[in-house]
Amino acid sequence: CHTSGMLTPNGKEYAQKIPREELTHLILRLLQAWKEPLSHFNQHIEHHQELPDDSLSKAKQISNMVHELKTGVEKSMGIISNSLNGVASSEAAGLSISNEAHMMSDSDFIHCFRRDSNKVQSYLKVLKCRIMPENSC
Amino acid sequence: MKQKLTSSVQIILLLALTAVGLTGQSYPGKPKIIRCRSLEKETFSCWWKPGSDGGLPTNYTLFYSKDSEEKIYECPDYRTSGPNSCYFDKTHTNPWTTYNITVMATNEIGINSSDPQYVDVTSIVQPDAPVNLSLETKTSASIMYLWARWSPPPLPDVSSNSHVYHYELRLKPEEKKEWETVSVGVQTQYKVIRLQAGVKYVVQVRCVLDLGEWSEWSSERRIQIPNGESPPEKPTITKCRSPEKETFTCWWKPGSDGGCPTNYTLLYSKEGEEQVYECPDYRTAGPNSCYFDKKHTSFWTIYNITVRATNEMGSNVSDPHYVDVTYIVQPDPPVNVTLELKKPINRKPYLVLTWSPPPLADVRSGWLTLEYELQLKPEEGEEWETIFVGQQTQYKMFSLNPGKKYIVQIHCKPDHHGSWSEWSSEKYIQIPPDFRVKDMVVWIVVGVLSSLVCLIMSWTMVLKGYRMIAFILPPVPGPKIKGIDTHLLETGKSEELLTALGCHGFPPTSDCEELLIEYLEVEDSEDQQLMPSHDNGHPSKHAKMISKETDSDSGRGSCDSPSLLSEKRRESRALPSTLQTQDIRDAEENKGGRRSWETQCIASEQKILLFNNESTKSSTWPAAQLPNNQPPMFAYHSTIDAHKITLSTTNVNIAPVLVGNEEKHQSQYPITETVHDNMEKEREMEYLHSKTDQTTVQVKQSRPNDKSPFLNPKLMDYVEVHKVRQDEETAVLLKHKENSGKTEKYTVPGTSKEYTKVSTVVDHNILVLIPDSRIQHTFVSQEPTMEMAQNLQQGQAEKNMGYCLPVPSECSRETSGSEYMDPSSFMPSFK
Repeated sequence: CHTSGMLTPNGKEYAQKIPREELTHLILRLLQAWKEPLSHFNQHIEHHQELPDDSLSKAKQISNMVHELKTGVEKSMGIISNSLNGVASSEAAGLSISNEAHMMSDSDFIHCFRRDSNKVQSYLKVLKCRIMPENSC
Repeated sequence: MKQKLTSSVQIILLLALTAVGLTGQSYPGKPKIIRCRSLEKETFSCWWKPGSDGGLPTNYTLFYSKDSEEKIYECPDYRTSGPNSCYFDKTHTNPWTTYNITVMATNEIGINSSDPQYVDVTSIVQPDAPVNLSLETKTSASIMYLWARWSPPPLPDVSSNSHVYHYELRLKPEEKKEWETVSVGVQTQYKVIRLQAGVKYVVQVRCVLDLGEWSEWSSERRIQIPNGESPPEKPTITKCRSPEKETFTCWWKPGSDGGCPTNYTLLYSKEGEEQVYECPDYRTAGPNSCYFDKKHTSFWTIYNITVRATNEMGSNVSDPHYVDVTYIVQPDPPVNVTLELKKPINRKPYLVLTWSPPPLADVRSGWLTLEYELQLKPEEGEEWETIFVGQQTQYKMFSLNPGKKYIVQIHCKPDHHGSWSEWSSEKYIQIPPDFRVKDMVVWIVVGVLSSLVCLIMSWTMVLKGYRMIAFILPPVPGPKIKGIDTHLLETGKSEELLTALGCHGFPPTSDCEELLIEYLEVEDSEDQQLMPSHDNGHPSKHAKMISKETDSDSGRGSCDSPSLLSEKRRESRALPSTLQTQDIRDAEENKGGRRSWETQCIASEQKILLFNNESTKSSTWPAAQLPNNQPPMFAYHSTIDAHKITLSTTNVNIAPVLVGNEEKHQSQYPITETVHDNMEKEREMEYLHSKTDQTTVQVKQSRPNDKSPFLNPKLMDYVEVHKVRQDEETAVLLKHKENSGKTEKYTVPGTSKEYTKVSTVVDHNILVLIPDSRIQHTFVSQEPTMEMAQNLQQGQAEKNMGYCLPVPSECSRETSGSEYMDPSSFMPSFK
């Protein structure tokens, strides 16, 4: 996976140890890293005749969701201004990463995306319960 | 002299005896040849057993002679075969000769010889047992076998190795008694395959020459068969699970162990790493498992896990199993399932079910989020009802039945990838029965009231039963013909009756047959035929009958008086020929396909026109089924007692009377058309009195017919009446003039009307029918009955307008529009 280079906590304890900001940044970097590959993937599969239509629409939907999630995380963390620097740097990193992403096969792509989305989900949940423990935590 | 001899002998004997007695020595005992044996047919030996030796050294010599020769030889070799034996070597052995052998024992005192022994070499051949039996177990192609080897019996003469022995081997497990014998052949080795593992076997072998006896069995050899040893089978990894998304365990299933104790080792490597590790913990999770604790568990990495089985014979590796811990989470079932009954005010009580997540799952930190699902069923129920609850840990149940017992279970799964846990233990719910006082009171009151009502009703019935019944089910009035005694009618023909009615010669007596009219065809051109088709006296009679219908007391029209109707509903009843009682009946009720339907007019105490509706048959028009090829326009069976509908030529609107059943595609009615109606009348029909139980229908023709004064000359259409014989189904076919060719629809384009309304009755015997525009051409339902009723009431204000309601069950099949109007009901003078 093109995001394998990112250092991400591999277990619950590590995830809990990381300070919140760092975790948030990590989440955002992950989401950012997938933005471009997803759009590229969407373009790629549009030409696939054999896929059913709802797969195509689903893929588009997922790209949108990722984008919205990123925006939402940014907003909720109030990091819009701070992340400018971070985003810039991650943009650069993202470009090189996304080159890698283009080389992956479709199944690998989906596998990596599934894993990373699971990562993001877990981190967000940990984050949520850290910040707002009363809500079903 | 003699005396001197005997005494000298005696003295000598005495001396000898004393000598013997003094020294204990005597001549040797008799030797005995015990055995002679040849080992290989070329040499043989004999052994003897010496007798007593007499105290002195004894020499034994063996003498033999061959066959019948005289010459006596001495044993050539006393040593080879051992003491007290004689060995005959090759040169001295002739296989085909018989040896006469004796052994002599000699000592100083005397000689003793054995009995002679006759020996035939060929008969004494018995080899020695094989020697050097060796046993080995070997495995070949994973089959274990026993390999036995031996040597042939040794011979003194080594040179003679050309003997061919046949061998036999026997073996048995040590504890058993039964030997298993195997014939080996000439080999000096043998492989035994059917062996029991782990058993000690005993093996012996013996041999035989081509002639002679089997040798003795060799000495026993024992061997232990080891358990079949082979490398173990490939183990398989069955599943890997993580109960709380922090650790995980893998289980494998061993293959067969190949007979030897086998060791299992689990090896794994992580995605992206080369290094292979071994399982950190084999014990915690039980046998054949490997437990990875927190330190060794990494998420979002794929583990490549294999299990290796090793034993003395070899080792085997399972297929690799790839696992990512995030996707194999299966939690424990929820715990602390509790129930609480809440009884809010003014509301039904409900049940609140609460539970807690399994203890190991860390839901608090958000690392693992669980979703729950309930499973509910009544105790006796078969199927579980599954309710998805989501992430909350409580559930309110409102819709349970009081008094019943329920079973509930919960399970959970991670909200993302993962699998459902096991169901929690069953929890029983017993809803306290909820007796509402209000409900009970209501039921009690209802019960009391209904019982009161029943009592009252039954009382009233008892007291005034008859009247009530009469009120509900009015009886059909009997005929009330002035001047006519009902008894007269009952008795059948009666001159008085007839004269009273003004009939002549009615009912016909001898010419009944003639009166049976095949069919009546009424057509414009066949005006004349119509009448002639009737019998001679018929028309006139009819005319007379018609004209003389003056009884105002009787129920006129198509419906006969009730008593008559009831009497004459049957096919073969005598019909008093009264005009009033003229009926067009269908003698034949059942003609295949014909429908004679029974319409019971429910006009209070009106005459009822009865039609026997036979619905069993298809309701196709009889026309289609009539043997006669009448143009099947209309056919009907009616058991109208007496109805004659004649059209009046008056200016009264004449409404046609629908007589027959109308099929949906046959809108054929016997319709009489009014004169005034310049519309095309579809048909007209006149019901003639039937003399017998036949249906006579007189069809009016559009053309004036002097024979039928009642025919409406202005009628445009005619009806063809077909009357069938009595024995067949009587049917009347009415045919539209216009559609003479048609057999189907009666549709008159445009102004097709059905005359279903009876406007008035003229002359007490003429029914005036009017068309009813509201009535559809094809009646397909019962509705028209109601319509007609309404129509009837609408139009001319007829009194006593009744209508015939077909008996619902029977008439439902009818298409409407064909109900009989009870003409009598329209007669103002009626009743």
